[in-house]
Amino acid sequence: MTSYIDQFPEEARLVKAAMVSAFLALAVGATFGLLQVLHRTGMVRVLSSADYYTALTAHGVLLALTFTIFFLVALFTWGITTSLDRNLPSMRFAWGWYGTMVVGALMAVVAIFAGFLTEPPTLLGEELSASVLFTFYAPLQAHPLFYLGLAIFVIGTWIAGYDWFRTYWAWKRDNPDERTPLPAFMALTTMLFWWLSSAGVAIAIVVFLLPWSLGIVDSVNPLLTRTLFWFFGHAVVYFWLMPAYMLWYILLPKLSGGKLFSDPLARVVFVLFLLLSTPTGIHHQYMDPGIAEGFKFIVMVNTMFLLLPSLLTAFTVVASMEHGARQRGGTGKLRWLGKLPWRDPVFTGMALSGLLFAAAGFSGMINAGMNINYLVHNTFWIVGHFHLTVGTAVALTFMAGSYWFIPQVTGKPLWNRTAGLVQVLLWFLGMVFMSNAMHRAGLLGVPRRTAEPQYENFAFEGAIGSVGELDAQVVLGGTLLAISTIIFLVTIVMTMLGDRGEVPDNSYAGTLSGPEHSPAILDNLKLWTAIALVLIVLAYSLPLAAIVQRGGLFGPGIDGITRVLPPIDTIGGLVEWVVGR
Amino acid sequence: MSQPTDPPGTPPDSAIERELTHDEFDPIGTAVLITLYFLILVGMWLFTYFVEFLGNGPTVVGVIG
Amino acid sequence: MDIHTYEKAWLGAALVLIVFFIATVTYGTVGAGVEMIDDSGGTVDPNNLADHERFGDPGVEQVGENEYEVNVIASAFFFRPGSDQRGFDPIRVPANSTVTFYVTSSDVIHGFSIPGTNVNTMVIPGEVAELTVEFDEPETYGLLCNEYCGFDHHNMEGTVEVVPEDQYDGGDGQ
Ligand code: HEM
Ligand SMILES: [Cu+2]
Ligand SMILES: [Cu+2]
Repeated sequence: MTSYIDQFPEEARLVKAAMVSAFLALAVGATFGLLQVLHRTGMVRVLSSADYYTALTAHGVLLALTFTIFFLVALFTWGITTSLDRNLPSMRFAWGWYGTMVVGALMAVVAIFAGFLTEPPTLLGEELSASVLFTFYAPLQAHPLFYLGLAIFVIGTWIAGYDWFRTYWAWKRDNPDERTPLPAFMALTTMLFWWLSSAGVAIAIVVFLLPWSLGIVDSVNPLLTRTLFWFFGHAVVYFWLMPAYMLWYILLPKLSGGKLFSDPLARVVFVLFLLLSTPTGIHHQYMDPGIAEGFKFIVMVNTMFLLLPSLLTAFTVVASMEHGARQRGGTGKLRWLGKLPWRDPVFTGMALSGLLFAAAGFSGMINAGMNINYLVHNTFWIVGHFHLTVGTAVALTFMAGSYWFIPQVTGKPLWNRTAGLVQVLLWFLGMVFMSNAMHRAGLLGVPRRTAEPQYENFAFEGAIGSVGELDAQVVLGGTLLAISTIIFLVTIVMTMLGDRGEVPDNSYAGTLSGPEHSPAILDNLKLWTAIALVLIVLAYSLPLAAIVQRGGLFGPGIDGITRVLPPIDTIGGLVEWVVGR
Repeated sequence: MSQPTDPPGTPPDSAIERELTHDEFDPIGTAVLITLYFLILVGMWLFTYFVEFLGNGPTVVGVIG
Repeated sequence: MDIHTYEKAWLGAALVLIVFFIATVTYGTVGAGVEMIDDSGGTVDPNNLADHERFGDPGVEQVGENEYEVNVIASAFFFRPGSDQRGFDPIRVPANSTVTFYVTSSDVIHGFSIPGTNVNTMVIPGEVAELTVEFDEPETYGLLCNEYCGFDHHNMEGTVEVVPEDQYDGGDGQ
């Protein structure tokens, strides 16, 4: 019996801690999700409508950043150590990056939650609050603690990435002729584009927003900080998604009783994500003034090609499941589907996530389609879309995965298989209701990020179904999701409180077509990183130069620094001068 | 089916009836499903683009005059 | 590489799909004449809108036989003109007209969206969003801010009235 905790007892504690952090964020974030649903529809309004935005900020930050990324670092730590069969070089160092992330997340969360107080405390001469949503578009301003917390959190992930890389380098020295195992390959390529893309948000925070919130500079260029946010903002969605892909590629085939259909294509897919996930961010700015149509078109082409790795994934993953089903006696064109292990919540949760991700693929294609963005931009459609992607493909895969991982890192068997099965089914159903209604409401023009989408001057009208019916569906879906979250948390807690017992072995799927079939060049990370950089420069240098030229590095009509630091003004002027050439 | 007594996440090895290699395995089911998906995507795209979007005027247009 | 025939076919089909999407969007631009919000609106100093030729006195202006320009300032939490429930003029234009909106912000980022239509843009301080729309039929539309702009964002709304030509009494600015 070899579970992860037997092989890597030290790392298992870290993985467990990171997963528990993720679940705490999920618990609080999902509570706000339910409150939002009830508030928007006007069913029950617990918070004031002004506080709604504080809650929404917490929901976005806790779920989209904290929950997802804590789970990611847990998963990648598992993937690196398991697939390289090697310990992290130093556990103290590893706890260091985990601690950095915790501190950063707590700082941001404290700043957000202070916004609920009627009289927020004052810190650094400013009221503590951060009701700026997780996109924190300037000139809405948060307390410096919020920006600082986010920056520290991101830096923690950078150090974690370095930790995985040095583990890999050490492994490489000992095994110079071996192919990089697939899970490690996935973690490393993902970290590479994470470094590239999060540099954008780090610059936005450290160079512009933090000094501005501290009063060191007077203003910012809102289009510039927004563009830097989205430089990171599209890549971050793949940062959420890659761990889910990793589980679909390496765990799902095994659970189905089969093997991964193609190791080479899996590598191609991750290389494509490394290349294309950053030079696509401007597709979140199709509706922005100040960016030329030509740039938007180029970015759309990049984005459309980014569909390719996901479409390839759909084939490879389904074929791997089919392989398992057929090995277990499945026959017919579709009858083999019945041979899949539908009573295993780990399998079923991931398979249902994949199904809803296919649906999300459709709304994502619409979102990518430049001019059709007039129809859906900033409507509830978008919220429907990303609750299928990050809210299900990622979140439900993580929850289902936890039913496998928590036994791995505790040595304790899952508390109750039926509870797990009910939980994943409820999430699926709840999300079908909620996101379907959100998509349809969006087509009627119902906006997102709005506490009371009920207006004095007009009402939303649709050809099919009324707003009342859509609201009812959203509330039903949200309620099912909340119940599902509770069952999940109870199952995890009960498992962790249980006794040690028999748990599955720590292993992942073999491959039908193995790494020996993939060209060695696929493992050349330096090459792909270099190409990714070139693509980023091509996609971003001209738009960024134009934005700085139009609005100034530090904002419209204000030439930079006034109060404390004249040197920055000089640097700003210099950069403006260079870019202006 | 995996046995109800197996811990979840156990690969259902016990139930494997035959080993299929890459060349023996014909993923026809996947081909059927993915073709269906393709057709749905094309149909829904056409509807959303031409009916929901272009039929939803007024729209932002190029300056004519 | 060892790639199954079906998978090669799917790779081909996926590429066809991608090209098909790009072609549709290109048709929307070239064939249907949909134009993106872009950099043509120019920039303004958001702190000195009062001195600006366009935004010093925002409102509707006739610029050609059936052509109108509407200059709008979005501020937390109203459109000027637009937010009639806050005491500003509604935006009023005649049917069968080509209307170009110039929208900017005096404070934070806002949205400018006419629900039930494809009129939708971000409003960014320092930038002017320029969007041209043809209004054929008389109709009263709503107008709303669809980007979070502060605690009262949900009350940022207004009206766009497209009135029959014979009932049009000139823009508010005249
Ligand atoms: C309990 C289940 C959930 C419910 C009921 C729920 C509900 C909602 C609702 C109604 C909104 C839109 C609010 C608005 O635009 O006014 C929203 C926004 C959002 N949700 Fe969820 N959600 C849930 C779970 C999740 C999960 C698991 C994730 C991600 C892992 C997530 C990520 C987000 C994000 C990123 C936003 C956008 C925040 C923003 O606009 O700033 N949600 N959620
Ligand atoms: Cu994106
Ligand atoms: Cu607003």
